[in-house]
Amino acid sequence: MEDERSFSDICGGRLALQRRYYSPSCREFCLSCPRLSLRSLTAVTCTVWLAAYGLFSLCENSMILSAAIFITLLGLLGYLHFVKIDQETLLIIDSLGIQMTSSYASGKESTTFIEMGKVKDIVINEAIYMQKVIYYLCILLKDPVEPHGISQVVPVFQSAKPRLDCLIEVYRSCQEILAQQKATSTNP
Amino acid sequence: MCAQPVTNTKEVKWQKILYERQPFPDNYVDRRFLEELRKNIHARKYQYWAVVFESSVVIQQLCSVCVFVVIWWYMDEGLLAPHWLFGAGLASSLIGYVLFDLIDGGEGRRKSGQTRWADLKSALVFITFTYGFSPVLKTLTESVSTDTIYAMSVFMLLGHLIFFDYGANAAIVSSTLSLNMAIFASVCLASRLPRSLHAFIMVTFAIQIFALWPMLQKKLKACTPRSYVGVTLMFAFSALGGLLSISAVGAILFALLLVSISCLCPFYLIRLQLFKENIHGPWDEAEIKEDLSRFLS
Amino acid sequence: MVLKAFFPTCCASADSGLLVGRWVPEQSCAVVLAVAHFPFIPIQVKQLLAQVRQDSQVGVAVLGTWCHRRQEPEESLGHFLEGLGAVFPHEPWLRLCRERGGTFWRCEATHRQAPCPPGEDQVMLIFYDQRQVLLSQLHPPAVPPYRHVGADPTSPGGLAAVFHTVARCEALFRSDRFDEGPVRLSHWQSEGVEASILAELAKRASGPICLLLAGLLSLVSAVGACRVFKLWPLSFLGSKLSTCEQLRHRLEHLRLIFSTKKAENPAQLMRKANTVASVLLDVALGLLLLSWLHGRSRIVHLADTLIPVADHVAEELQHLLQWLMGAPAGLKMNRALDQVLGRFFLYHIHLWISYIHLMSPFVEHILWHVGLSACLGLTVALSLLSDIIALLTFHIYCFYVYGARLYRLKIHGLSSLWRLFRGKKWNALRRRVDSCSYDLDQLFIGTLLFTILLFLLPTTALYYLVFTLLRLLVVAVQGLIHLLVDLINSLPLYSLGLRLCRPYRLAAGVKFRVLEHEAGRPLRLLMQINPLPYCRVVHTYRLPSCGCHPQHSWGSLCRRLFSGELIYPWRQRSDKQD
Repeated sequence: MEDERSFSDICGGRLALQRRYYSPSCREFCLSCPRLSLRSLTAVTCTVWLAAYGLFSLCENSMILSAAIFITLLGLLGYLHFVKIDQETLLIIDSLGIQMTSSYASGKESTTFIEMGKVKDIVINEAIYMQKVIYYLCILLKDPVEPHGISQVVPVFQSAKPRLDCLIEVYRSCQEILAQQKATSTNP
Repeated sequence: MCAQPVTNTKEVKWQKILYERQPFPDNYVDRRFLEELRKNIHARKYQYWAVVFESSVVIQQLCSVCVFVVIWWYMDEGLLAPHWLFGAGLASSLIGYVLFDLIDGGEGRRKSGQTRWADLKSALVFITFTYGFSPVLKTLTESVSTDTIYAMSVFMLLGHLIFFDYGANAAIVSSTLSLNMAIFASVCLASRLPRSLHAFIMVTFAIQIFALWPMLQKKLKACTPRSYVGVTLMFAFSALGGLLSISAVGAILFALLLVSISCLCPFYLIRLQLFKENIHGPWDEAEIKEDLSRFLS
Repeated sequence: MVLKAFFPTCCASADSGLLVGRWVPEQSCAVVLAVAHFPFIPIQVKQLLAQVRQDSQVGVAVLGTWCHRRQEPEESLGHFLEGLGAVFPHEPWLRLCRERGGTFWRCEATHRQAPCPPGEDQVMLIFYDQRQVLLSQLHPPAVPPYRHVGADPTSPGGLAAVFHTVARCEALFRSDRFDEGPVRLSHWQSEGVEASILAELAKRASGPICLLLAGLLSLVSAVGACRVFKLWPLSFLGSKLSTCEQLRHRLEHLRLIFSTKKAENPAQLMRKANTVASVLLDVALGLLLLSWLHGRSRIVHLADTLIPVADHVAEELQHLLQWLMGAPAGLKMNRALDQVLGRFFLYHIHLWISYIHLMSPFVEHILWHVGLSACLGLTVALSLLSDIIALLTFHIYCFYVYGARLYRLKIHGLSSLWRLFRGKKWNALRRRVDSCSYDLDQLFIGTLLFTILLFLLPTTALYYLVFTLLRLLVVAVQGLIHLLVDLINSLPLYSLGLRLCRPYRLAAGVKFRVLEHEAGRPLRLLMQINPLPYCRVVHTYRLPSCGCHPQHSWGSLCRRLFSGELIYPWRQRSDKQD
């Protein structure tokens, strides 16, 4: 089962949420951020090159122009490889764990897997971000020493920052699976 | 508590206490509240001439500063030879020293336990250090602009006048700071003089007029008020005369200042006492009158 | 509860047989390790399993049956497999079945015994690469090392249990395809060990060689520790020269490499390998430098340029001093003091220049011998370079010290005289400023000195500022060299290479990929190793460096500079090694 819905992020940008229900015990949520827009790319490139040209006309040194080209290229590569996240995926598998994957625009993927034994709960939290209050989904990890404590809070969808309606959607599905997990683990 | 029946209030009398529960709102007061109002408890009645007499300390200090500046001007212009000033200063210091002991018959000296040997030692320290440092003083502010030096001296002398211990009991008074500022100003001004001997004598003179002269004054004022008034008048006239020889306008302005401080300001102070309206009452914060120092140790 | 079956990918094409593996009851997961093929004699299978169990202390058992249908009609085999459940009792009994040409498998788990209701659980198939799981090393280690000794080997929980099981059952994988054992197993097989004579010889010889070298090294360190070097001037020099520090550090490394003690855990082994790689790289770079230096008389060139450079620096300093003795940047300085300071420093430079000229005939020889030290490693050569820079800029250091001392004196004097000026004093017992009544002569002398110091402060401060800037320049250059040395010393090259070529060896965890799925069939996941990020590799495996931790933060450095305290490039050797 697979469906796709469109939501907006906290700044009003469009986000696409894909839900894939592989089986009752395995679900995947995939948030796709908007692609890198041509307009902003052009604007940044033009600004850098115009500044470089201004400097060039002042100093008459052609090194500046080539340096500007290199800086633009390297900056773009670095941005695509380390900063721009295209897609964030949350895969939750009953009795196994939760896996968060963020795919960068260059194709690099970074994955974190949290075993179910360490997960205490999944909650929606509020945070002050710049000048506004935003909601975010986070995974609470158990403290190995103290069974009721929380050792760490892992935020989910950190770069997409979807709004509350989208978060609730994901939250409900996750809670269903967590409830199953709790039910089976308490009476095996 | 606010909605108590009316009958109750007639029976229960309001008391100004907090330790009992009363059927009144918290901010309730009754008619007797203003009975304890007092006005101008601490106001004092001033006598005009007494105030004028007390103001002479300010006059003296203003005149000291004026005399110092005038002497410095004479030295800078070369009108006054340093030997003359040194001789005059030495002579007046000796006279003052003798007077200091004569006035109260050596009682103050016996109380403080200051020996003459210590006095001599202090004098030697003054003379040696000033003489030793006078060449340094001469070249100290060579590269600093004269205007800067003047501005600094003016600020320091003003500070000296502000922080001087005129006998008032205030937090701002600090005789140490005041004396230090005067010495700083004198060092600054002395460094502008043509030769190092000049600088040495100028700084010596500054000590005499800013440190020693007020001590003598204090004793004079305490023991022989009559002669003190005379000395003050003489000192003020000599300062005015010195200033007159430099600038007539300055002298007139200075005279006006002295007159206003010694005559007008006391008059104004007494007039303003009439408008005083200090109210005291039970709303004042508590004041501990008893001396509690015996509990502290 | 969902039953998880971990299945090695290499067994997916194996013939039908029995599933051999371990059942982890607390997580209800079955780790399949191998497939035993027909025909076999059940007793022999049981014997083999018992042996493996004894070797690995892991409860290996027959978990169920594996049926791979290559031909259409194999109904009889199916019945036969069902019957095997009676021979090898196990709860639950797994039945995996792969259709011919189908990508979707059938998988059932049946309970036969009483308390659980007879029926089928939901099954989740997780494929894993046996080789990667076997060789990988989880970070952070799931089991603390001391727990290995304990009697309970099944301590790690979660997925670490899977890794643990596979790692412990290495004995099961020892037999290869061509072995004529009683039971034929299908599992991951190594490509075979290349047993060349040379490798064998090296292995044999390494023990005695290590012993010999370790003896030599202990001799060297004994000589280094002898009493002559503990005497005052030598020990002082040894603690200040970075070359000595570096040599001591390298000696420590070599002792670690040639120690005959066996590495106890993977972390120590990795540390040893990293040290070897670092030393090898260092020496290789050093030899490169040596060959470059000693080819085509570059030493002579270097010596010819070095003296003029030192001369030039001294001349520039003279110009700077002459500029300072005038009215630098229009600042109003005390002329007399300015002249005194300027002449003093000029005389110092004069001394320095004559010293350099005295030295100049020997510079070439010195450089030649210094160049030889590069064969001990690039780091030693760099440390020597840093020391040489420190020696050649000794005059700057002297100026800096004079300036700083003067400035510090002035600042301290001014701060206490300022308290006197306000009629306060520092109460050392209560550590606060108290008010105090001074005598007249104290006040007078204090104020006189205060005035003098205040007006002389700009001159001293300017000298201090200029020489501090020069000093900071030298310190920055030395700091850069130290940083480079530190980098070579502490970079875990072996670990980085391992991460680059065999990413699965250093695992940060696992990641799952959902494989193609069809309704009604068990969910299939592929477990992959999530390699450790490079930054964490460096962080985990970096070697302890010389102890060049920055002593001050930027704020405290600025404060020290302002108050005129001396700053040193060489830092004290920190005690927290490793």
